[in-house]
Amino acid sequence: MKISSKFKSIQSSIFCAVSILVLSAVLVVTVVSLRYTNSSIYENSVMYTQTIIKQLNQNIDSYISYMDNIASVIAQSGDAYKYLYSEKGYGATKDENYSEYRQRLVEQFKTILKGRADIRNIGIVREDKNSPSLFDNGLSVRNTYVDLNTQPWYADAVGKYDRYNLTSSHVQNVIKGERPWVITLSRGICNYTGTEAEDGVVFLDLNYSAISELCAQSSMGDKGYVFILDQNGNIVYHPQQQQLYNELQTENISLVMNAKSDIVTVGKGDDEKIYALSHSDITGWTIVGCMNMSELLRNSRQTRSIYVLVAVGLIIVALLISSLIARNITLPIQKLRDSMKSVQKGNFDIEDIEVISDNEIGSLTRSFNVMTHRIRELMEQNVKEQEQKRKIELKALQSQINPHFLYNTLDSIIWMAEGKKNEEVVIMTASLARLLRQSISNEDELVTVGQEIEYVRSYLTIQKMRYKDKLEFEIKADPSITQVPIIRLVLQPLVENAIYHGLKYKDSKGLLTVHGYMKGENAVIDITDDGVGMDEETLKHIYDKHKVNYRSNGVGVYNVQQRLVLYYGKDYGIIYHSEKGKGTTASVVIPGIQEESHEKS
Amino acid sequence: MKSHKKEIITVAILMAAAVVIFAGILKPEATQTKKCSLIYIPKIRDNTNDFWTSVISGCKMAAEEYESDLEILAPDKEENIEEQNKLLKKAIEQKPDAILFSPSSMDASDELLKEAKEKGIRITYIDSYTKEELQDLTVATDNVNAGRMLGEYARKLIDKDSKIAIVSHVKGVSTAVEREQGFREGLGDYADNIVDIVYCNSLYEKSYELAQELMRKYPDLELIAGMNEYSAVGVGRAVSDAGAKDKIAVVGVDCSQEAINLMEMGVYKGIIVQKAFRMGYIGVEETIHMLNGDAVEKNIDSGCELVTPENMYNSDIERLIFPFS
Repeated sequence: MKISSKFKSIQSSIFCAVSILVLSAVLVVTVVSLRYTNSSIYENSVMYTQTIIKQLNQNIDSYISYMDNIASVIAQSGDAYKYLYSEKGYGATKDENYSEYRQRLVEQFKTILKGRADIRNIGIVREDKNSPSLFDNGLSVRNTYVDLNTQPWYADAVGKYDRYNLTSSHVQNVIKGERPWVITLSRGICNYTGTEAEDGVVFLDLNYSAISELCAQSSMGDKGYVFILDQNGNIVYHPQQQQLYNELQTENISLVMNAKSDIVTVGKGDDEKIYALSHSDITGWTIVGCMNMSELLRNSRQTRSIYVLVAVGLIIVALLISSLIARNITLPIQKLRDSMKSVQKGNFDIEDIEVISDNEIGSLTRSFNVMTHRIRELMEQNVKEQEQKRKIELKALQSQINPHFLYNTLDSIIWMAEGKKNEEVVIMTASLARLLRQSISNEDELVTVGQEIEYVRSYLTIQKMRYKDKLEFEIKADPSITQVPIIRLVLQPLVENAIYHGLKYKDSKGLLTVHGYMKGENAVIDITDDGVGMDEETLKHIYDKHKVNYRSNGVGVYNVQQRLVLYYGKDYGIIYHSEKGKGTTASVVIPGIQEESHEKS
Repeated sequence: MKSHKKEIITVAILMAAAVVIFAGILKPEATQTKKCSLIYIPKIRDNTNDFWTSVISGCKMAAEEYESDLEILAPDKEENIEEQNKLLKKAIEQKPDAILFSPSSMDASDELLKEAKEKGIRITYIDSYTKEELQDLTVATDNVNAGRMLGEYARKLIDKDSKIAIVSHVKGVSTAVEREQGFREGLGDYADNIVDIVYCNSLYEKSYELAQELMRKYPDLELIAGMNEYSAVGVGRAVSDAGAKDKIAVVGVDCSQEAINLMEMGVYKGIIVQKAFRMGYIGVEETIHMLNGDAVEKNIDSGCELVTPENMYNSDIERLIFPFS
């Protein structure tokens, strides 16, 4: 079966339709659920991050507040302002308690530094380079090259007592020999001593240990991180601060600073990031949680894989089932079709198709089976009837001996008896007897060519005696042909025809020749007369039915031809050659070798 | 059944379609960069020298970020070409994917570098290079430009009759040659006022002595330029000790905490600071990219900045000269 024609089959149509339907259904469901998973994972992550960032913000607020407490305790402790502002606190004449204040402050500072590893430096200082100052454990010295008024942590805090000042990340250069990166929290120290000394400041330098620890505690996944910006968009803390400072990393700070909502998405594809923001009113800082979108989506990848696996499995199962269904539906149809095809070709001898199910196709099959049975029966009946009919017809045709011929012959015998022509009476009567015997007694449809020729001889003998001066005949038959079977009463009507239409109208004596011989595989018997012949118009109508007339034996050329064709097929029959005035030859052509079956039937 | 061929074809087509669609839904994971083994041989390891410390920490940071192995093999003196070659030999024996190298000499390491190349080891130059091009990649400051910036700034500090001296580090190394060339370009016609060029072999003591000698030799000297950290700091110390900071302006290349101190004290009038951390980081980063087969630029300028007493606490300069850790 060709593939192109297979495409048109119901089976493939059903299969394709079901497959496409199932495939698209599974795809749609999968895509929708994947989308839904993605968006729900995204939303969950965002909510989670926001919560974490808010929590972190509170932690940082409380951390800074705690640091501010330390700063305020120092700022308001008597020792600090007394140490800073007593006019006698420096120079040659020292306040008698000066070293006492100092000692207590140093102890206090030491305690604080010991307890808090995240405080890099602690100190009190005034802008005046000659005024007293104190850093850490009291051993550090001030960097006198630095003008404190240029340092935001000092300039913005001095003279303000109600609130602390918090810087961004910067390099603290107030202590000689040290330039650490810190975040500085500073507070102005109020002068309660009554001296006219200008204000000073207490400061705490915070290294990043506490803040980075707080930020690291906020789990943002492998690639996620937290960073902190101050109110001006400067980076306070970033896990990759060093890279940022060296322009090896960038962070979209302007976007964060201008963001109107708490969630900002930046970048595309694998670099897509989500920023979750939380602004603190206490510190003025903005805490930014940054998540990598691809990482978020990777979390959902496993879920997706399961979806996809299930979908693929479903599709495979669906394809198998649809192919099975399609086959089950179409298998009986195909059987039906094949069997119909063979019926179409005329082969009714097929087995019944097995009825698999009781559905529409089942009943169709059943009906088809019944139908072929019926057709077969009808055909068999028809064949029988036809056979019968043919036999009857043949019999009817061959059994008709022209009564006129009988009367005429009998009349001739009477005249000859009256004329005492005993010998001739004997011959004629014998011939007539032979003729009658042959035509009546033989029940068989087939005779041999020899018998048929003998029959013609009897007939011609009678006719010759009747038309003494008119007819002469000659019979030649190859021995090979005499045993060839032939249907009865073929030659006699033709001979009769030749006599009545050919020789009868001839003025002189006519000669009729019967000549039987083999030509290839065929047996041919020529009946030739040298009578008046026929013109073409007559020849054309030689096989027509109307040629039967009462004077012939009623058989006629038409009937002979019909019987020959009916029995042997179209390739056989009578061929006429005729020429006006010269004579006519009728050649009977039959198969030279005939099968047994034909003889029997 | 008569023929399953077509069914199989149909199934195959449908399956293929499904696979394509699902492949579209499941985007492939980003490709991981290969883990590389790298060895970096700087000119020196010296904790007081901010430049090399920063280069090394930049290298380490990048290696850590790209999850690659990085080993630092460093001589303890900058002019020690022999020791650097010994380390290079040792590095080649370890057969790393790439060697990052800061050659102390223009040609003394050529043989070894060629040998490394034959063994399929990629070579990246950091900071300086050799006369012959043996490297696959160079990450360095544009030293001519650095010298030019220094020269242009120095020109503003002096007038046309001022005498100028140069204390350079190692004679013949690329950085020394190029910085001097750039410095002269930056000075323009004032370059004629350069009275002397001396080499300190990257030793503080030697440059200190050389500076003293220069001051003795040319009492009216108005500007001394140190061409690297050792040269400049030695000169700064000498000028500071001589109490000549208002008479002699010191400018230099490369920064250290001592250099910052000297600048706060007013001895240094200007320093060209190379982006050392960046240099080391990019060196390693680009080498890893190269090993992964990505297209990389062959010569990368890591950049430099002019630092003056006025801008040294500006946040962008601050980030550069005070290493964040």
